[in-house]
Amino acid sequence: MPRRIITLIIVALLAYGGVAAILATHSTPELGLDLKGGTSVILRAPEGTDPDVLAKAVEIMRGRIEAFGVQEPEISITGSNGVLVQLPGVTDRERALEAIGQTGVLSFRPVLSSSFQSPIFDTTTTTSATTTTTGDSTTTTGDTTSTTEATTTTSLPAGVDPSTGFTIKDTPELLASWLPEYADDGSLTAGYEVGTLCKTDSAYITCVGDGSGNPVDGTVDPLTGGDITSALATFSQTTGQWQVDLKLNDDGARKFQDLTRNAAQFPVGTAQRQIAIVLDGKVISAPQVSANVDANTGIAGGNAVITMGTGTNQQQQAQDLSVVLRYGSLPVSFVQDQVQSVSATLGSDSLRSGLIAGLAGLFLVAIYMMLYYRSLGAVTIVGLTIFGSLMLIVLGLLGKTAGLTLTLAGVTGIVVSVGITADSYIVFYERIKEELHRGRTMRAAVDEGFSRAFHTILTADTVSILAAVLLWLLAVGPVKGFALTLGIATFLDILVAYFFTRNAVSLIAHGNLGEGGRFSIRAAAGGVQEAS
Amino acid sequence: MNLITRLYRGETSFDFVGAKRTWLMISLTLVIVSVLVITIFGLNLSLDFKGGVAVEAPNPNNASVAEMRSALEKLGLGDAKIQELAGGADLRVQVGALSSSESETFQQTVADVTGSAVNEISLNQVGPTFGAEITKRAVTALIVFLAAVVLFMWWRLEWKMAVAGITALFHDLIITFGVYAITRFEVTPATVIGVLTILGYSLYDTVVVFDKVKENVEELNTERMTITELVNRSMNQVLMRSINTSLTSLLPVGSLLFVGSFLLGAQTLRDFALALFVGIAAGTYSSIAVASPILASWKEYEDEWARVRRRRERSRGDAKETAEKPTAKVSRQSPSRKSGATPRPPKKGRKR
Repeated sequence: MPRRIITLIIVALLAYGGVAAILATHSTPELGLDLKGGTSVILRAPEGTDPDVLAKAVEIMRGRIEAFGVQEPEISITGSNGVLVQLPGVTDRERALEAIGQTGVLSFRPVLSSSFQSPIFDTTTTTSATTTTTGDSTTTTGDTTSTTEATTTTSLPAGVDPSTGFTIKDTPELLASWLPEYADDGSLTAGYEVGTLCKTDSAYITCVGDGSGNPVDGTVDPLTGGDITSALATFSQTTGQWQVDLKLNDDGARKFQDLTRNAAQFPVGTAQRQIAIVLDGKVISAPQVSANVDANTGIAGGNAVITMGTGTNQQQQAQDLSVVLRYGSLPVSFVQDQVQSVSATLGSDSLRSGLIAGLAGLFLVAIYMMLYYRSLGAVTIVGLTIFGSLMLIVLGLLGKTAGLTLTLAGVTGIVVSVGITADSYIVFYERIKEELHRGRTMRAAVDEGFSRAFHTILTADTVSILAAVLLWLLAVGPVKGFALTLGIATFLDILVAYFFTRNAVSLIAHGNLGEGGRFSIRAAAGGVQEAS
Repeated sequence: MNLITRLYRGETSFDFVGAKRTWLMISLTLVIVSVLVITIFGLNLSLDFKGGVAVEAPNPNNASVAEMRSALEKLGLGDAKIQELAGGADLRVQVGALSSSESETFQQTVADVTGSAVNEISLNQVGPTFGAEITKRAVTALIVFLAAVVLFMWWRLEWKMAVAGITALFHDLIITFGVYAITRFEVTPATVIGVLTILGYSLYDTVVVFDKVKENVEELNTERMTITELVNRSMNQVLMRSINTSLTSLLPVGSLLFVGSFLLGAQTLRDFALALFVGIAAGTYSSIAVASPILASWKEYEDEWARVRRRRERSRGDAKETAEKPTAKVSRQSPSRKSGATPRPPKKGRKR
């Protein structure tokens, strides 16, 4: 059996067998959100954000969204400072946006005062959230406890909306009335975070984990969530208490040492000795620096322990706090650049449109090629089915292994690539015609025609692939999907031309369809030899 | 032999380069008009470049555009763009940038008027900086791509071909955007993709012609042929390929355009296909009318080609040949004409 027949059989087996395998294992390409419905959000970090920081943010978001119960979220970094969040099937936008919208900054702040609670807030309940910070140093410290009090107010401060509460930092006048010692210098307007007044079922309280609501100094460069390497809730055998083990990176360790050194200047039991953990302007917790911490050094080394006291619910509290410390905030704040939500109906409509357009286009090309190139047109049609099969296989495999999804832009890329593929055939066939006109024999014309045409096809396809690769590397969003399918298609085009088209045409040239009849290659070339 | 038969057999001898003044005038006019229109009227940028909110809602209530507008006026969004899609079965509403709470109210209103659920509404909400980002990246991609293509064509072909190809490319880009500026079609990110694809198409076409020129320079008897004749001959040789390729590219793109605009109202498809349609047409035209004449005229100045031309002009003077003849004379050298100067038309069906 001639080698070209063997090659053709292998190619056909590979392509059609592959498709059968893909269909049998249900590995057809994953559809993108615009084709099956879902919500996608592009978030953008400030210009010049460190890629590591961005990667960390993505990790945090993934943790959050998974905790929120979304099936298979896709979160990826797009461009230099964007994050693309894709939530397939989620059309409940508000819930979805909420899940990723919590992009507040977690920070550690010095506490300024505790006098804030009076005169407005009456103390009605006291929780025994005993929070202590001890240096994780060689000198073991006895724990000093400071009890902070949950406060409720019986009368609503003037200017507060009863239904929503309000953020104190937005209203400097009120702030001044509560914090007379800071009223004069006017600095409280400039970024002091003091907590948010929220509505509960029975009363208005400051929304803080331990109910302290102490105003904190927001003007210093804060220790942020991004500085935390790990935060784990553990049970200490030595103290018999639940605690959160905090590990900080080098930068964080330095900031933490400054914070604790300054706080340790104040006597035990005063508010200024506390350090507030603030998320989105809300004080989550405000542990006090342990009495054993040296006022000259603070807590050095980037390791610290927050002990939770001996109350009933300490395990839960420790775990909650550790989660906030780990996932509570993103290391940078993001802006929502684009929110796109596609209903499942619109998605399937688009997919249908794309498929109909693609098939109609293929059909028209097939008819045209048959009319113009006769038997060579038939080779093109078989070649296009092989091309289509290989495309499906590659997309299916990439979907399984690399999580590639096929978007509407990707479908358009495929439709466009039909044109590029058809061109390769045309270049080859025109070459054959030209060689025949020069008076070569059929076989020589096919062989010579291919080697010359392939040179042209390679050059032209290289430009296409170059365009696709650059687009893929540089572009954002849908352009990427388009570039990918276009690039894959162009590459497959070269393979099909080399392994299939050449051998198939050569087979025809050697057979009956080369010379004789209206359907032959000779007829497609304008019947040169018949005429002369 | 009629034109179609000659086209079919690849035996045309159009004097493409000879008409370069006409081409140049047409192209220059098109480019100048495009630049003027773009600078005066600007492009109709979609909300993706400006920021804003667009929703597409199913419309079981059969709400009219006027009903929608009066409902939106109560929200202070009276200037919304409202469109009926798929014959009124869907409504598309587009407004400027909104805060997230305003956006929710807006979506709720649209849902109430159309009688659909908020979750059935498709939403596209874009921040004002997003478009700048897209544009910046598209421009970066464009510049890097151009640089890479120049280097590639320089290496694979030659640098004058690279310059001629890039010139044709700019020609296509400017005209495509000119068409968008004149027709006031929206420029969307899908359009940007379309335009970037045109880059590929336009060059692809030019590369095929130039590849043929290069091959002919190497193989034909260049002593007896000026570069203009040689480029002409190359273009005639690949003419059928150009026509066929444009047709086979336009068929799928055309069906995309048709299905997208008329049958199913898929807007992304339409935006994309429109740019391609204009771009492919311009690309085919420019490889014939811009890139090749530039290359031929430029290379005429090279010493070697100038020498050939002078000699040819002398001999032409002696033979008193008309302007039509050079191509015919060239053809005589080709092996295909060994059997006779003018082949008779094929006698169909007589072979067997």
